[in-house]
Amino acid sequence: MSQIASVKNLRLKFAGSSSLLFKDVSSSFYEGEKVLILGPSGCGKSTLLQVLSGLIPNSIEVPIKADHITTPNSWGYVFQDPDTQFCMPFVDEEIAFVLENLQVPRNEMLEEIRKYVDMVRLDLEELHTPVQTLSGGMKQRLAIASVMALQPEVLFLDEPTAMLDPEGTEQIWDTIKSVASDKTVFIVEHKIDHVLDFIERIILFNEQGEIIADGLKDDIMTTYKQQLIDQGIWYPGVWEDYIERENKQKPIEPGYEHKLISVSQFRGFRGKSVKLKIGNVDVFPGEWITIVGENGAGKSTLLHSFMQLIKTTGRYMIEGQSIENINKLTDYMTFVFQNPEFQFVTNSVYEEIAYSLLLDQLDGKIIAEKVRGLLNEFRLQEQKDQHPYQLSMGQKRRLSVAAAIVKEQKIVLLDEPTFGQDAKNTFTILELIEHWRQQGTTVLMVTHSMEVVQYFSTRVWKIEDGALMFDGTPEQFFQKPSKKLLFEK
Amino acid sequence: MQFDFKYKETWLHKLNPSFKLMTMVVLFLSVLFIHNINFMLNYTIVTLLLFLIFSGHPFKRVLLILLPFLFIFISSATSMIFFGKGDTTWFKWGLIHITEESFFRGIHLGLRALTFAGLGITFALTTRPVYLFYSLMQQMKLPPRYAYSFMAGLRLIPIMFEEFQTIRYAMKVRGVQHKRGVKGFYEKLRVYSIPMLSQSIRRAHRIAVAMEAKRFSQVKNRTFYYKISFSKFDLLFLLYFIVMLSAAYFLSKQFPYFPITDVRYE
Repeated sequence: MSQIASVKNLRLKFAGSSSLLFKDVSSSFYEGEKVLILGPSGCGKSTLLQVLSGLIPNSIEVPIKADHITTPNSWGYVFQDPDTQFCMPFVDEEIAFVLENLQVPRNEMLEEIRKYVDMVRLDLEELHTPVQTLSGGMKQRLAIASVMALQPEVLFLDEPTAMLDPEGTEQIWDTIKSVASDKTVFIVEHKIDHVLDFIERIILFNEQGEIIADGLKDDIMTTYKQQLIDQGIWYPGVWEDYIERENKQKPIEPGYEHKLISVSQFRGFRGKSVKLKIGNVDVFPGEWITIVGENGAGKSTLLHSFMQLIKTTGRYMIEGQSIENINKLTDYMTFVFQNPEFQFVTNSVYEEIAYSLLLDQLDGKIIAEKVRGLLNEFRLQEQKDQHPYQLSMGQKRRLSVAAAIVKEQKIVLLDEPTFGQDAKNTFTILELIEHWRQQGTTVLMVTHSMEVVQYFSTRVWKIEDGALMFDGTPEQFFQKPSKKLLFEK
Repeated sequence: MQFDFKYKETWLHKLNPSFKLMTMVVLFLSVLFIHNINFMLNYTIVTLLLFLIFSGHPFKRVLLILLPFLFIFISSATSMIFFGKGDTTWFKWGLIHITEESFFRGIHLGLRALTFAGLGITFALTTRPVYLFYSLMQQMKLPPRYAYSFMAGLRLIPIMFEEFQTIRYAMKVRGVQHKRGVKGFYEKLRVYSIPMLSQSIRRAHRIAVAMEAKRFSQVKNRTFYYKISFSKFDLLFLLYFIVMLSAAYFLSKQFPYFPITDVRYE
């Protein structure tokens, strides 16, 4: 086997950081190898891929020093974010962009574009389809198609499924397995369920950017299990291990005495069209309702309707009061968005949590006490003076939840709060939510994770085409997924 | 959010975008040298006819788009009518002084603004940006790095609208109430612009890296997916203006609406 990429004594430092990201990292890679690179957030896995591809220092200027670097001659790179890898507005134009770069003659282009679109099983009748109308999973398959047009020997996959739901994730790995079996592949990924049967070799980094293990996957998976848990890797069986380790009990169902929310003939509108139709449904205090369904089924619309972000009609009561008579809905209900950054309004973590309380003109002492309590509970004490944007992914998520629930509203709506989070952060967030639920908060949460449904929720709603198609306990949901059950008491 | 307006393709869509652009620029400039209000009025009619009949968009939308431009017409005309110089007074009240000369000059200015608007929106409504940049690369030798940067930038606009919407929701949920006045406006600007700018900068950087990863910068010669060339429609476009403007000029000489040949104040 011939060597295809290598680094020797690599040192690298980002501008503004005080220490080296890599200190004397060395490794070699051979033709046809399938390598998975694992490590905690911020350890430099993606950076290593960029060095091995030559993107650093050719396209991204970062000071590096190494005795020796070999990069492959032809390679393709698939990035994490489906929205930021395309420069053209239509599917055919995007692949054509690559073909143009390779100086493929114009009259051969259409045929080539069709070939690559079919290769990744992007079922498009019309090639001239706007990229924007594709789902996340389809966008990532388009990204793979345009990378395949480069005819690369080596593929670099930088968390290609981090922003996808479980279904999209599975499709992406199926595609990669079918197109890349004869290529050298480097993968950085947190969700490794579908990756493990494709790769042979694992490189494990620690927080300091040092390689702590490099070997065959089975050896690494058994010897370094604790590291995988500590690093928040989604390895197969991570949920079962967590449930066993924490001795997690099924959540105790709340009493169903008085209704907290009650709706009937409820409609939600986007513009003039009806996007949500719900007949009769009641929510009771202390419930944890998970809302599941396919992309675009109307899960977010349901939350937006409850939060009155969009126009609704029909009867909607909270604690026996009609929604029209409720002056300040934010006193009863709060909302946590999918992307935490959009909901930050202040310049520091402390102010962010205090914000809603300051708006209500509470006494300074009470505010200080409450904020301190939440900073401790959400483990943000040390970051309290930082700008929210400077936090890590997990910290941002915790802050957004803390800031949302500071007024101790009775109802919390969450739109995929564990989206894109590693296993460790996910468990932390879920535990925090469960803690609040036990104190009487009612939780309505959109999720794609069946494990959250199974282990944390007390009730499941399944949304299809803007309608509530299933309403029942998780047990009923998993027993008879095909049969529609209505919640009976 | 989608900005995919449905429209019919007309011959204006089939023009060579660079040719269309250059013709428009010449027309823009020529308007500046017209001082005869009779010709100017006919000129405006010629451009608006093209826009109203051949844009390919539904008539309702065309009128809707025209609305803000009528406002520009009125505002630029009235300021000259009310405050311009002139000798033959029609009406005087405090600072407002309407004279015959200022009235016609005002109307003339308004027509100019309307002509600019007519030409501009005709171009915007009948030109797909991607074709424009391909044409600029092929006919005007625009370096690809600028062309593709613009095209990549255009992709970000709808994403930014979605983001704006999300932030608006988030503000509502957090109970943000903006104060009135300058301070409130500044607050609002800060709350929206910081997340949107930071996201956009990050996106732009990532797209740039992704483009280079697809071997964009290493290429000196490239082939083009779209070959943009000239057609009989370009000739038609040119003839439309030559014939119609000649007629407009002739008619303005033979059948003037007003006995004025130069609206400038001597």
